[in-house]
Amino acid sequence: MTPVVLFYLFAGILVFAGLMVVTVRNPVHAALFLVLAFFTSAAVWMLLEAEFLSLALVLVYVGAVMVLFLFVVMMLDVQGAPLRQGFIRYLPVGALVAGVAALELYLVVGSDRLFGSQAFPLPQRAGAAYSNTQEIGAVLYTKYVYPFEIAAVILLVAIVAAIALSLRRRGDARSQRPGDQVRVRREDRVRLVAMPAEKGE
Amino acid sequence: MGAQGMLEGLPEVLVILAKIFAITLPLLGVVAYLTFAERKIIGYMQVRLGPNRVGPRGWLQPIADALKLLTKEIILPSASSRFLFLLAPVLAIAPALAAWAVVPFADGMVLASVDAGVLYVLAMSSVGVYGVILAGWAANSRYAFLGAMRSAAQMISYEIAMGFALVGVLMAAGSLNLEKIVLAQQGGVLSWFWLPLAPLFVVYFVAGVAETNRAPFDVAEGESELVAGFHVEYSGMGFAVFFLAEYANMVLIAALTAVMFLGGWLSPFEGLPAEVLGVPVLGPVLGPGLHWLAAKTSLLLLLFLWLRATFPRYRYDQIMRLGWKVFIPVSLLWIVVLGLAITTRVAPWLD
Amino acid sequence: MVPLTHYLVLGAVLFVLGLAGIFLNRKNVLILLMSIELMLLAVNTNFVAFSHFLGDTAGQVFVFFVLTVAAAESAIGLAILVVLFRSRHTIDVQDLDRLKG
Repeated sequence: MTPVVLFYLFAGILVFAGLMVVTVRNPVHAALFLVLAFFTSAAVWMLLEAEFLSLALVLVYVGAVMVLFLFVVMMLDVQGAPLRQGFIRYLPVGALVAGVAALELYLVVGSDRLFGSQAFPLPQRAGAAYSNTQEIGAVLYTKYVYPFEIAAVILLVAIVAAIALSLRRRGDARSQRPGDQVRVRREDRVRLVAMPAEKGE
Repeated sequence: MGAQGMLEGLPEVLVILAKIFAITLPLLGVVAYLTFAERKIIGYMQVRLGPNRVGPRGWLQPIADALKLLTKEIILPSASSRFLFLLAPVLAIAPALAAWAVVPFADGMVLASVDAGVLYVLAMSSVGVYGVILAGWAANSRYAFLGAMRSAAQMISYEIAMGFALVGVLMAAGSLNLEKIVLAQQGGVLSWFWLPLAPLFVVYFVAGVAETNRAPFDVAEGESELVAGFHVEYSGMGFAVFFLAEYANMVLIAALTAVMFLGGWLSPFEGLPAEVLGVPVLGPVLGPGLHWLAAKTSLLLLLFLWLRATFPRYRYDQIMRLGWKVFIPVSLLWIVVLGLAITTRVAPWLD
Repeated sequence: MVPLTHYLVLGAVLFVLGLAGIFLNRKNVLILLMSIELMLLAVNTNFVAFSHFLGDTAGQVFVFFVLTVAAAESAIGLAILVVLFRSRHTIDVQDLDRLKG
């Protein structure tokens, strides 16, 4: 009974958060609602016994990607008001497209014949010995090892690209060179001057 | 039967709630007295007395502090984003407490012995950054915002090194379950992971210090430049909750380091003959148990305080350089070494 | 227990919300990126649900790859956005009508 209640609770929060992401005025609030959406769908995935992906979602999206989003939103200091122009103007066409897409999707996924409990009976709940992480690891490093490595390369390229794009050499910035500081010798800094002692009267 | 039978009769949820209380309440007590210990220990290190007025030898100081903060007025900056301003302290402390769900205190003494424990801990500690960012943003203050940006960047950067250090641990233990990680370290002091994973141990602990924004990595709240960093606009309970969160995070990092690198609840005198362990008082003390975890955690916490008393604050770019250019390459390198050691079975403790 | 269709409908609702977000926030690139993330989340939810109900891990492995690629996409997207804001001082899509940097 409890998982059912939890599912509808999480689904409700998820849909609410998703709605707020696209309608809320302030981009920071939108990003925060997206965080809520990710967190809640991690909970939904947990109900689907995908604990590895659920935690990875929290770790990667909530912990890293959304922080990046928030950083950019906060640092760019974009004014919300002018960017909201046309919200009302686009509302009819947006609602129309969304409505049509929703109807189409519902006709497919909502049909009991295709995806109902007859076609997809409820799976057995996994026992305590089941380890989702182990299961994914077992196929990820054997069957999908090449895609896995390609994904790694994509991430590496993304890191390099992101840094290369946003790196800006500033002429006025000053920084220390610790290497030079360590290597400095006495002769570079101190000049000993031999001076004859001045004679007083 | 007795107590055990009664416990089984209760609904499962109540038992879990009781366990959560049994973990959280002592934890908050530890946090309160950690603040006292910090002031006292740093006092002694600097040849001062530290707080000694409230109660015998100052032992009631944390209670006085808590009462003072409780009775202070909560100030909401007028231009702040009110809801987020109030939400931020909660977001700061909740992950620090939630992560304790998977920490094993002794053999079988854990709230949830989940198979993805290390992942869960990482996920929770990555959520903690939101408290900081939101506090800085919602307060609508330059100082707070700068502090929040700094500490958020710092926390994300050090999380990477931390994650790689944990990868080494799970490679050596062959499990993500914290209980199994402890059990993989059986066999006395030399079998604990601090030795085969020495660089990762250092990286993890120092990254933990940076992650909690503690000295010498406390640029986020550097008093001399940013007043108090991200929580500059908080007063009364809001400030107290941030304070609690910082110390709860310290205890968490210390306990996790103890679990993953110092053998958790295992005794350093493992392998003693059964006759010695059978001795009434001495046996249980020398054997494995909660007290060893507590002792190791306390030792690491002392290290936290010692660092604060000893080192001057790092400059911000130095912190970033340490994280990205030193810790990440070191931990990556050691993961490669570890992988070679595991595949070729060089080290006896990594078979 | 919750049948598969409910998970699929949840995914569909999220996807449609993301789609609507793209139409409603035609000006703000940031919200556009967030809407795309929302749609990817919906797709991933579908994958996980199918993987659970079919008892096949392949779906979850695929979600893993989608997460990876989406993270890379948003990192580069945000980097481009920052560069854009630096040179144009706006993130309004309609002002991005010149090819010259």
